[in-house]
Amino acid sequence: MTDEDVDDASEGRAVDHADDVGGTRLARRWRALDRGWQALCLGLAIVFVHLVIYPV
Amino acid sequence: MTILDDFRPYVPGLVLLGGGALLSVVVADAVPGVQPLVVAVAIGALVGNAVGTPASAEPGVDVDKLFLETGIVLLGAAVAVEEFLAAGPTVLGLVIAFVAGGILFAEVVARTLFRIGTPTSSLLAAGAGICGVSAVVAIGRVLDARGAAITFAAATILLFDAVTLVVFPLAGEWLGLSSRQFGVWAGVSMFSTGPVAAAGFAHSTEAGQWATVTKLARNALLGGVAVAYSLAYAARSAADPGVRRLWAEFPKFLLGFLLVAAVANSGLLSPAALASIGRISDALFTLAFVGLGLSIRIDDMRAVGAAPVGAVLVHLLVVSTVALAAVRALL
Repeated sequence: MTDEDVDDASEGRAVDHADDVGGTRLARRWRALDRGWQALCLGLAIVFVHLVIYPV
Repeated sequence: MTILDDFRPYVPGLVLLGGGALLSVVVADAVPGVQPLVVAVAIGALVGNAVGTPASAEPGVDVDKLFLETGIVLLGAAVAVEEFLAAGPTVLGLVIAFVAGGILFAEVVARTLFRIGTPTSSLLAAGAGICGVSAVVAIGRVLDARGAAITFAAATILLFDAVTLVVFPLAGEWLGLSSRQFGVWAGVSMFSTGPVAAAGFAHSTEAGQWATVTKLARNALLGGVAVAYSLAYAARSAADPGVRRLWAEFPKFLLGFLLVAAVANSGLLSPAALASIGRISDALFTLAFVGLGLSIRIDDMRAVGAAPVGAVLVHLLVVSTVALAAVRALL
């Protein structure tokens, strides 16, 4: 474990070795999110897709 | 620059996690009684210590924590809210008592028995008492601890994560604990979220759910503990206590878990949807546990000193013994 990884974990950010200034606007916004928010968004998106594909 | 270009750096690591996850499912299918999640950790640890993680694979492998937290969010769909609400006050009471008591006990043991100075004693106490490495770094930031002290305390916690991941499921089997008892026991005694969930699922699916929910309740207290430490070290700390600190340290994916549990228990999801979400959650856990295994490095653990290992060991033995008596009496 490096100090850099420790810092990333403390921020709750996904440890990202990709270039932070590069990428599409969507990618930059995604990387700027706290990892907890990323997980929340992904999880809710998966549930929403299931609501649409498998209606009650 | 397209979305595909954004995604490219992550491909090697995701292939590595995916390959490990597939292999773990194949091995678990071939060997009766073996859980794929346990095999996933073992495969990761084997690869990590034998050949290491290639530099090109690191961006993708580092997504493992996102997979773990997303898997926990989706685990909300498998939770029977009524059952958890019924046991909720007891489990919540246990969590608060063990976090508060465990941190105070760890501080006393580290400072008096093992002569470990501050803030290292507090970093170890936070790591052992709340949520492992993320608590070490959060409290380290509150106390303005040096990077070396944080890395040292985090390495100690990681050592115990690796050991308890193997020992707890074996102990649970040997002690004949029910799924609920084992899950709550692991949830209040072990350290980091990943190993707690892995140990729980190694016992049974129900134990995995209880372990994860209990651990989430513990994680939710991180903000409160950060504020308490900030006040205790007020003369030395530059950090600001208060609502902002509470919110900053709050694990946001816990909100997702609660939302998904609410949606699933309101009857909005069909049985087919629940089954599919369960499979996706399992797959994400398997990918995350390969990454967890890859992060377990024997060489790093050899560098950990005897005093912090002694302090955390005493804490773990006492807390897990008292917690065992409590879950047997109350659940």
